[in-house]
Order: sequence, then C-alpha cells, then structure tokens
Amino acid sequence: MSDWLKRFLPFASLVVLCVLIAAAEPKFLSAGNLAGVARQTAVITIIAMGMTVVMISGGIDLSVGSEMALAGVAGALLMAAGAPPWVGVLGALAAGAACGLANGAAVAALRIPPFIVTLGAMGIYRGVALLATDGKAVVGLPQSFGWLAEGEVLGFVPVPLVFVVLVALLTHFLLSGTRAGRYCYAVGSNVEAARYAGVRVSRYQIMFYVFLGALAGLAGAIESARLVTGQPTAGEGYELRVIAAVVIGGGSLSGGQGSVLGTVVGALIMGVLSNGANLLGISSFTQQIVIGAVIVLAVTFDEFQRRRLETLS
Amino acid sequence: MRGITKSFAGNSVLAGVSLRAAAGEVHALVGENGAGKSTLMKVLAGVHRPEGGEILIEGRPVHFTSPADALAHGVAMIYQELSLAPHLTVAENIFLGREPLRFRPLGVVAKRELNERAGRLLEDYGFRIDPRAVVGRLSAAARQLVEIARATAEARRVVVMDEPTSSLTAHEAEDLFRLIRDLKGRGLAVVYISHRLEELGEVADRLTVLRDGREVYEGAWGELSQGEIIRHMAGRELKDIFPPRAAQRGAALLRVEGLTRKGKFEDVTFEARAGEVVGLAGLAGAGRTELVEAVFGAQPFDGGAVYLNGAKFNAPDPARAVGRGLGLLTEDRKRTGLCPDQTLARNLTLANVGALVKRWVLSRGREREAAREYVERLRVRPPDPERVAGRLSGGNQQKVLLGRWLFAGSRVFLLDEPTRGVDVAARAEIYRAVNRLAEGGVAVVMVSSDLPELLGMADRILVMRRGRLVAELDAKRTTQEEVLTYATLEEEFEIRNDE
Repeated sequence: MSDWLKRFLPFASLVVLCVLIAAAEPKFLSAGNLAGVARQTAVITIIAMGMTVVMISGGIDLSVGSEMALAGVAGALLMAAGAPPWVGVLGALAAGAACGLANGAAVAALRIPPFIVTLGAMGIYRGVALLATDGKAVVGLPQSFGWLAEGEVLGFVPVPLVFVVLVALLTHFLLSGTRAGRYCYAVGSNVEAARYAGVRVSRYQIMFYVFLGALAGLAGAIESARLVTGQPTAGEGYELRVIAAVVIGGGSLSGGQGSVLGTVVGALIMGVLSNGANLLGISSFTQQIVIGAVIVLAVTFDEFQRRRLETLS
Repeated sequence: MRGITKSFAGNSVLAGVSLRAAAGEVHALVGENGAGKSTLMKVLAGVHRPEGGEILIEGRPVHFTSPADALAHGVAMIYQELSLAPHLTVAENIFLGREPLRFRPLGVVAKRELNERAGRLLEDYGFRIDPRAVVGRLSAAARQLVEIARATAEARRVVVMDEPTSSLTAHEAEDLFRLIRDLKGRGLAVVYISHRLEELGEVADRLTVLRDGREVYEGAWGELSQGEIIRHMAGRELKDIFPPRAAQRGAALLRVEGLTRKGKFEDVTFEARAGEVVGLAGLAGAGRTELVEAVFGAQPFDGGAVYLNGAKFNAPDPARAVGRGLGLLTEDRKRTGLCPDQTLARNLTLANVGALVKRWVLSRGREREAAREYVERLRVRPPDPERVAGRLSGGNQQKVLLGRWLFAGSRVFLLDEPTRGVDVAARAEIYRAVNRLAEGGVAVVMVSSDLPELLGMADRILVMRRGRLVAELDAKRTTQEEVLTYATLEEEFEIRNDE
C-alpha cells in the first residue's frame, strides 16, 4: 500500500501541478512553452539520471554543477582551438568522467564519506574551471555546435530531449537489466551484506561515479551549446536541483531505492515548478525557497516510510 | 525479579524468570550463550521492558522506563560492551550526566571538583588511573575499570556486572574482587554474570543457573560441584528434529593450517571433508566468528594458510572467496547478510548474479525461476519472490540467505550460528538443507552455540577456548557436558585428538 503510494505520489503531484498552472496561465500548455520546459529540464534530467545511480548505491555527489562547468569549459577550449564539435563533446564527456573517477576513487579507496569528498570536489573543480579560463567565458565556438542545444529532430523534437530519452533508456537498462544494476541496489541497501556476498564494492562504486561524471560532462556540453560559450560559472546550484529531482522521484538519501522513471518525474516537477513560477511572475528567489522546502518534504516522507519498514522487520 | 518474560521478534528469550538478590550478597548468574542472562539483566537495568512479571526493590514494585530511571532507583549495570565516551576524560565519564556544577543555572562544570572527586573514588577502589586521562587512550582493561567505577559510584542498592573480567589481567581482576567484597560490605546486592566458574568461587554467595530463558537451579554457592553446574547449564534433551544423513565422506575440501590472528585465534588447524559437517563449539568471544570470517577473506589474519581442494588459497576478500566456491552464512543477519529493502529474489541471487546474465543482459525470467526453485526447496514462507526481504520473519530471512549460497553453488559452506533467532520450524528446514548439502558432497563448517544442534548435526566437534582449538570430539560419542567442560574450564587440558 505504502509502496504504491510512494510510486504514485510524484506522478499525482506532477499532474496536479500542471493542471493548477494551466488553469492560472493557459499559455503554459502552448507547444512553444512545453518545448521550452523540455530544453530547460534536459540538463538537470541528464545529470539526475547519473545521480539516481549513485544515490541508489548509497552515495551522493555534490560536485555535479562544478563537474558540468569544468567539462563544458574543457570542450569549449578544445573547439576554440579548432577541434570539430564532436571532439569537443567527447572532450567534455572525458573531463566529466575523469572528475567522476576522482570522486569515486576517493570514496571507495580512501573510504571518506561521499558528502565530504564531493563537497571538497565541488570547490576544486569549480576552481580549476575558473583558473583554466581566467574566470572569463570561452568564446569562438563553431556555429554548428549550437545544434546540440537548439537543434530539432524530425522538425519539432528538441535535440536535448532526444539525449534525455536516450540517457534515460540507457540508465534504466543499466539499473534493471545488468549485473551492475543489481549490485548498485544491493550496495546501497546494505554495503556490508553486498561485500559478504562477494560483490567487489569499490570497483562498482567507482564505476557509478564515473557514469555520473560522464553524464555531467554531456550536460556541460549541452549547456555550452545553449550559451554558445564555455562558462566556468555554469551549473551553480544545480546539485540542489539534481538531488531534489532524485529524492522527489522516490530515491532515498540512505541508498537502495530509486528509479529512472521516478527521477524523470521529479525533474519534470522541478522544471514545471520553475516554468510556472516564471509565467506567473514569481521571483527566482522565491523559487529557491520552494525547491528547498520540497526537498525537505520529500526526504521526510522517505524517512517516515523507512521507519515503518524497520518496525515491520 | 519475579516471573519476568521477554521475547524478541516472536522468539521467547525469557520465559518467566525469577531472581532474588539480597543486600550484602554476591549472586552469580550463569548459563550458556543465549540462555537469557544478559537480557534478564538488561530488563533489571531498564534497557529492555519486560512483557510480563515484575521487579521489586525492597519489596516495592517498580517500572523502569530507561537506564537513568533504574539508576535513580539505585540499580547500576556494568556493560559487557564498553559504553564510555572515548573523547572525554576519565573523570568526565565517571560523572557523565551528574557533573558537579558551579553557577547552577548556567550549567558550568566545576572542573577541579570533578577531577578531585573522581581521583578520590579511583584511589578508594585501588585503581591506578589518572582522572584527567582521555578514555580513548586507555587500555581495554583500564576502560573496564573506569566503567566499573562509574557504575558503582552511584549504585546504592544493586550492581550488575556482565562478564567484567573478560578484558582484565589476573592482577586487575584481584582488585575487582576486592572492590566487590567492599560493595558487599556496604550492603549492596551484586549480580555477577560470568562464564568462568573458577572466578565465581572467589566472590559468589548464591547461584542461579539459567537455561533457555528459565531458571533451572537456585541455591547457595558451593552446594553444586562445577560438573553439576555445567550439567544444569547444558541439560537439554535432544529433540528429534535432526534428521538422519547418508553422506559419503570424500576428499578434504577445506584445510586450515596454523591460522593465527593475534588476540583472536591462534594456530588453528583443522580440515573439512566432502560430505562432512564439522561443528565448531565454544563460548562467545572464543574466536570462532573471527576464524571463519578470516577463512572467507572478510577479516584479516596474521599467519597460517588455508587450502581449498589441496591448493593454497588465502582469501584476500570475500569476492575471490566466493569465486573459489566458499560461502559464509554470517552470524549477524542484519549487518552482513540481508539487503532489507530488496526483494527476496534479489537477495537470493546476489552471490551469483552472473548466472542470470547472458551477453550483458540480465534475465528477469531466470531470476524469478531461480528464486522460485529455492523458495520451494527451502519452503520459504510466504513463497513470494518479489516480497521485500525485510518483511520476512527471521527464520525465512535465514532460509533466503542459505539459499543464496545454494544458488551460488558453493562447495564449502561456513555457517556461523545458522539458527540464531530462528523459530523451530525454520530450524528443521535449515537442518534438512544442510543434510542435503552434505549428501551432495559439500563440506560444511558449522559454528554454533547451541550444543544440542551441534551434537545432532555435526560429525566431529571442534571446541575453541580463548582462540585455541582445545579438543576434537566425535559427535556420536561425546556429550554436552564434555563439550561445555572443554569450552569453559581454565585448567590445562592436554589437547585430545580422537583421530
């Protein structure tokens, strides 16, 4: 019963939210506005897919916003030096994956709590991005690069949305159709039990952080394409939105729980909230307060459920 | 205490126990592991609440809601597991929660007075410990003494000591016994739990023996010989829940040679053959769990070697041990066994997910099929592979975890307390499964504190005492008394080898 409620609640919230906003401002439902929501939500959703995996395994990564900026800058620098866009995108992916590797290695090998490791990493990666660009935006990117953010497939589907769908399918397959997915849930549910069952815990933890880092890199490339510059200040505060998307979608801060579909819905709730607020003229400052409150609510709900499970067992 | 009952998760731990401790008397409480001694004392100290029965202090019934509440009534307990705050000083620990204050409303601690009072107390007890020392830097023995000082400083009526000498040297134990006599002289009642019958002779006035959550003997110390006490501790009848087994003994699948880990186990050598169940008996803390976990690669060891199928294999981690056909059913299901919020099927297949994967893709159909097969074989109730494992009963959780190693196709099973906290019906299923394993040519090493279980299931019983193998007994010919004697007594027995 409560499992069912937990799965259903995010969907219900999203629908109610859309109905309320559409009632207050009919422009919300226009094709142009919805495509805009999709574009704005894409970057958060892509990172949130990776975050879902890391959080199911019992970890967390606060450095995703900085990773994204560093990766975006790395890709932009490559392209500004004359590399073609696809090399720039691969460069961004590689830079993000490298950040993830460093985070994962510190968490798994040095056994430092992920919260602390990635809090530090958040500052380090941001600093590297600012140093590499002297704090200025990287300009002179090829025009064709803009397609990654502004292009359309089949004449009406935004390119970022295509990436969101591909990444979501890949992540869903990873979690439900592979050995790594099984281990991910097991490690997050009880890391010692997983170790005693013969799971090479460190190896998989590192893999999950690399996966998240690569996705943050992809998101960084898309963000650079949207701005047609490499911004070392991109993605500030994104970690909050990304984690919120996972938690609202039923992911647990204590690991073992979460799903791709839930996170997508969570990210959409965040996107629709902020779009609706803009349409209704609510300030972005107020939006931050709302986002924060929603996270606390979602975590409280999750904690409440967990205690119930514990008293059962 | 009168007619105390208590159960955990449906398993009765105390079934109507009574205990009378008189002022100025040391009351010894003995029993096998799991007999209910510690639980009974935790009820007395306000840690657990009894489900039935009553506690009377000086004739008046009391209901403790917390350890602080019990302390307010003059009942103090010294815990087996140390419960000191490691970053505070000795004096701060002793007076934790009742520090002498200056400027009472502000709650400023009177540091000098605190240290002086603690110093006087330690001196009175004859403990040579600096009250200003940080507890975390003290030796285990010194910490134990601080714990004793803390508990006794406030106790006005009853002091409970649970295995207080386990980390003390002989000399420090002497200090403790002197303190106990002193407490007695001050008119306190002391309840003293110990496995070591010799040391009880030093201080005990009366004796209560617990078995299976009931008191089976109560009388003055000295009425019974040590042998008779042991018989009372053991004295269960063998039930016929141990089905017969027709296993062919084969080659030695596991051989442990001179395995040593300082402070835990020393120079342990034994082997387990295909089709054989080897029992490992001993008291809590004898090093059995550390030993099997070292074989499995989950805990370190300093010296010696493990051979699987005759080839040397010192497992560096559980992953490689599992790869070589070892399986460990751990002692602590919650901590190292179950993934509580995952489904039964996922828990069951965790050690062999590879068998469900074909060309990178995991087959859910196979997962369900495998889970269903083992659920049926082990009669897991309810037989629903998609049920969240944390919602199964303890016995059924244990069956799933045993099923994990069956599915992994392990050749050597290390079972650590496989039926702890498991109801009788589930026990019988586990015994049947173990027998079938042995008949199928698997080697089983079974650690158990349940002696009837070891006698009923094992072919040979190895007895460990304080990290050493002290006896190897033929399960068909030995008795519970004999096993307990080897496990308990401190005399210098010659190691007997039946082979």
